[in-house]
Amino acid sequence: MKPGRLQFRRFRTRLVCLLLGLVAAMLGTVYLLISSANERNAIEHIDQNLKIGARLFQKNLDERIDYLSGSAKVMSNDYQIRKLIMQDPLDRETLRSNLDSYADRLRFNAKALPPVITLFSPEREILALSIRNQRLDREHLGPFQDLIRLAADADMEKASGYSYLGGKLHVLVVVPLYAPYPNIAGWFGLAYPIDQAFADSIKNTTLLELTFASNAAEPDHRILSSTLPPRTAHEILALRPTGNNAAGTSQIVLLQGEPYVTLFQPLDLLEEAPATIALQRSLHTELAPARALEKTVLGISLAALAAAALAAVWIARGVSQPLLQLAAHTKVVATGDYTKPITLPRTDEFGQLATAFNQMTAGLAERDRVRDLLGKVVSPEIATQLLRSDLQLGGEEREVTILFCDLRNFTGMSEQMNPIDVLSLLNRYLDRMSTIIERHGGVIDKYIGDAIMALFGAPVSDPAAPGKAIAAAREMARALQGLNREFATEGRPTLAFGIGINTARVVAGNMGSRTRLNYTVIGDGVNLASRLESLTKDPAYDTPIIISEATLRSLLNPPLVRELGEVQVKGKAAAVKIYALGAKGESQPPYPVS
Amino acid sequence: MRACLIPLLFAGCLGLTVRAAEGVRIIVRTTLDGKPVADAVVSATPLDHPVPTPGPGNTAEIEQKNQEFSPYVTVIQVGGKVIFPNHDTVQHHIYSLSKPKRFEIPLYQAGASESVVFDRPGIVAIGCNIHDWMVAYIAVVPTPFFAKTDDTGAATLPSLSPGRYRLEIWHPRAAAPVVQEISSAPENATVLEVKVALKPDKRIRRAPTGKGTDY
Ligand SMILES: [Cu+2]
Repeated sequence: MKPGRLQFRRFRTRLVCLLLGLVAAMLGTVYLLISSANERNAIEHIDQNLKIGARLFQKNLDERIDYLSGSAKVMSNDYQIRKLIMQDPLDRETLRSNLDSYADRLRFNAKALPPVITLFSPEREILALSIRNQRLDREHLGPFQDLIRLAADADMEKASGYSYLGGKLHVLVVVPLYAPYPNIAGWFGLAYPIDQAFADSIKNTTLLELTFASNAAEPDHRILSSTLPPRTAHEILALRPTGNNAAGTSQIVLLQGEPYVTLFQPLDLLEEAPATIALQRSLHTELAPARALEKTVLGISLAALAAAALAAVWIARGVSQPLLQLAAHTKVVATGDYTKPITLPRTDEFGQLATAFNQMTAGLAERDRVRDLLGKVVSPEIATQLLRSDLQLGGEEREVTILFCDLRNFTGMSEQMNPIDVLSLLNRYLDRMSTIIERHGGVIDKYIGDAIMALFGAPVSDPAAPGKAIAAAREMARALQGLNREFATEGRPTLAFGIGINTARVVAGNMGSRTRLNYTVIGDGVNLASRLESLTKDPAYDTPIIISEATLRSLLNPPLVRELGEVQVKGKAAAVKIYALGAKGESQPPYPVS
Repeated sequence: MRACLIPLLFAGCLGLTVRAAEGVRIIVRTTLDGKPVADAVVSATPLDHPVPTPGPGNTAEIEQKNQEFSPYVTVIQVGGKVIFPNHDTVQHHIYSLSKPKRFEIPLYQAGASESVVFDRPGIVAIGCNIHDWMVAYIAVVPTPFFAKTDDTGAATLPSLSPGRYRLEIWHPRAAAPVVQEISSAPENATVLEVKVALKPDKRIRRAPTGKGTDY
């Protein structure tokens, strides 16, 4: 398995990532939901405020109009005004100074400029003009005259409107001077500038930005007044090239890169294209408290994420720790050490697994012990064969080279020795011979008293088996010479043996009862090998090792042999040729053949 | 109110003749619903012969009683005198800013009586600086042939010698005076009906309602 970029080999890492991913996704979703809800709420809130602001703005203007017209009404009932108007010729200078004193009384508030106050004749001829602190000429008074015409035609007791006076936006009111009511003896015209101070006062009550702009179609399209910084306000001009806006719908505009929720409203002017009012509030300002809350939520989320990480690591450790322990213990068991059981003091699935693991280890240890013992009782190859395959009765036919080795006169010799010495001598001899046989790939089939029956090419077939049998026999002969020298120095009697070797197809397999099995071979070939061994006792042959014609033929590199003649074999028509192994020294009898 | 008699508009029926033997009777009605109009001033100015000079009786009286002027409308010939007796227990300060006669009679006590001579034709609106609701009109006409309609909208001019006359009907609520030419002849009809367009009554109401002059 190739570990990919997002693939983790360690289960613990995967578990931690999964848990963290889930928690992070949940917290992220919550955070995004809160954030977008806040923004939606803020926009809605501003939108409502803008609409309230628009009403408040209109109400404020209406109040000023009412204030002006109410004041004008009081003025018109003033005795001295009537007295001044009564004079012929008219004393305009006194009249103007009288209007000035009215203007000072009619400041809307301490900060506001005094209003413009004018007095017109019933024929709309200017009689007097008070312009405290304002640049205004008589030729700027057209809007008043328009308004008077409007009021006179409709027989109105007051008329108001918006217009430019000397280029500045004003709210205008005209009120007839009744003398007495309803006889119109003249007209008062009053005007308040809708200027920076006015916009600021609206901002003070509504916290909204307020901007007045002249009509976009005018050649002198400009900001009339604004609570915004001049450069920011100037961008509004570019925003509204045309005056068509769906009434009462706010929109989000960018000023100096900052989003403002904006409500555009037209301000109808007398005899002129409408001006634009922009009521606004910065989305950032509105969102500031919500953003602080979002930061808190973010902090809590991160803390929760960290806690989740710790919890995930802890849980993952709880799972992976016993797994790692089991894995480590498995390695120990794999090396064959069954001595230490794994200890997991827990009752959960891992505890059960550990218990099962310990039971398995115990089973393995038992099997190993069996294998050990088996190896001692039978040859390792047979033991392996027995352990590997299912134990079955019966066997298979295969070609096997059988070696029989028997000591001469051992029975007679053993009668003159004590049994312990006999067993010791015999075991020493058998051990030396068995080792040589096994080294050459032979398998000890069984010991029959002092005789050895060994197989080559079973249970594992081997075409070189006859050669290995010959080599083993020769080495056995040499080893016996060495052993006899040891015995001689020890003062023990020396030994002599005969070896018969035959190669034949025999039946090999596990034989015996269901409860007790023995791997062996049976067949005439086995008997022949035994008989060849017996023939070595015949002094006429003068050799300790006799091999059959079949073995000789099977050898890949036939050694030098001496033909000994033929022997009759039971069950076979033709006699079998037998040979003594070639005298390369080894085949010479090292002992007198009795 | 502006001076309403200045523009001489000869509207409609030129050469309308009336029988002058026992005076000309005029009925003034509203154009809207034909209701009779009281307090309308009807004057006939001779066009074919000189206007007779006013006699010694060219005076009128507008009293102040119950803090109102009475009568509401007064007609005099140019050069006539109006006396303003105060029959109230409070002082009044009457004035006029109308072009034909600007005047004031500063605060004067109950029981006192002041007079003013009106030497130019036109409508003079009179008010009081103390009581905003007080209003009265004096129609100063350039002819001795005038009359004021009663509650039935009828007014009777004194008998006119034959000839053409400029007939002018004015009312405080008239948008503009109705002017027409008539001819006086012995054999013609004596009743003439004239319609005037009236604006809504805009006089200040006192609470409780004072002596109004409703139609
Ligand atoms: Cu009075």
